[in-house]
Amino acid sequence: MHEYSMTVSLVNAVLREAKKKNSKKVLEVHLSVGSLSLLAHEQLKFWYKVLGKGTILEGSNLRISVEEGEVECEDCGYKGPIRYEERLYDHLFFPTVSCPRCGSFVKVVKGRECIIKSIKMVI
Amino acid sequence: MREVIVAEEGEILDVELSENLLKMNEELASKNRELLKKHGIKSVEIMGSIGSGKTSLIAEMVKRLKEKYRIGFIAGDLTTTIDSDRISKNGVDVVQINTGKECHLDANLVMKALERLDLEALDLLFIENVGNLICPAEFRLGSEKRVVVVSITEGPFMVVKHPFIFMEADVAVINKIDLAEAMGIEVSKLEKDALTINPRIKVVKTNCRTGGGIPKVIEALGL
Ligand SMILES: Nc1nc2c(ncn2[C@@H]2O[C@H](COP(=O)(O)OP(=O)(O)OP(=O)(O)O)[C@@H](O)[C@H]2O)c(=O)[nH]1
Ligand SMILES: [Mg+2]
Ligand SMILES: [Zn+2]
Repeated sequence: MHEYSMTVSLVNAVLREAKKKNSKKVLEVHLSVGSLSLLAHEQLKFWYKVLGKGTILEGSNLRISVEEGEVECEDCGYKGPIRYEERLYDHLFFPTVSCPRCGSFVKVVKGRECIIKSIKMVI
Repeated sequence: MREVIVAEEGEILDVELSENLLKMNEELASKNRELLKKHGIKSVEIMGSIGSGKTSLIAEMVKRLKEKYRIGFIAGDLTTTIDSDRISKNGVDVVQINTGKECHLDANLVMKALERLDLEALDLLFIENVGNLICPAEFRLGSEKRVVVVSITEGPFMVVKHPFIFMEADVAVINKIDLAEAMGIEVSKLEKDALTINPRIKVVKTNCRTGGGIPKVIEALGL
């Protein structure tokens, strides 16, 4: 639901970088969104298109890749992918912060970010 | 002859970056946390869906804690001041943040609200987030503890449909247990779901109309 404000920050950051390089046109922006972030990709793309209109971003492509969630356990030292709980009878599949190895609470170390990785532009 | 080398017109440049758009909020949240800590203020954020009982829970806690602490309240609401009026009746210092169309509070809005409170005159701060089980999970405000309130009337899948907020919270309050029978909901299942998502979360069942379970919430928050 906050894709709009997030895309405003994104567009501003891209325009700022393009200006630094005196670019006249942006071709592609690569955004990495964590799998534990709540940003909906389609909505990000929609707002990107709307907010880019009439700027040097118009017509450029927003490429989104997913960064998988990673956790760390203080109790047993596990570090790796987050554990998902699957309940086939309810068609449910959801992430948990419980350690896949020992069941303790784990800290999320990756997968919450929304990172601009690169910008392809014409100079 | 002088040779001038210029970038060819239309050359394509790939600029590498590593800018986290959510980082700004995280940094401001840390600042809020430090500021509150510096003034020795305990702080609790209350999240939860619309109408789940966030304000009722705060009102019940204030009733029991107002002799022990000097309490402040930051109320996030889309447009109205109804919730802040309900709490300010109890002699609580209130700042209202109208978020307009935003679906959640963020650390920057809370920072502005903190500027309007006399922090020297407070020991405990409650922050009510906008009714929403999704976005607040993403934006930490800087409070010491986070509570999520869900109510029985939201159905049996409320918890598992919103894992992110339960991953984030320290305490889960299952409210309106007086309606469990009428709704045909097994409260123990909701409790189990919350613990499956987050083995460290403390689950408390409440009836905020009668005050049932409130002392347990206070205990779970270490107040
Ligand atoms: N039956 C029952 N009703 C409750 C309980 N707790 C709160 N309510 C009622 O639920 C309604 C909403 O309560 P609020 O405390 O305003 O909920 P809220 O989450 O602050 O609502 P918003 O801020 O509008 O999202 C009110 O009419 C309360 O009286 C409860 O434990 N049982
Ligand atoms: Mg309220
Ligand atoms: Zn472990």
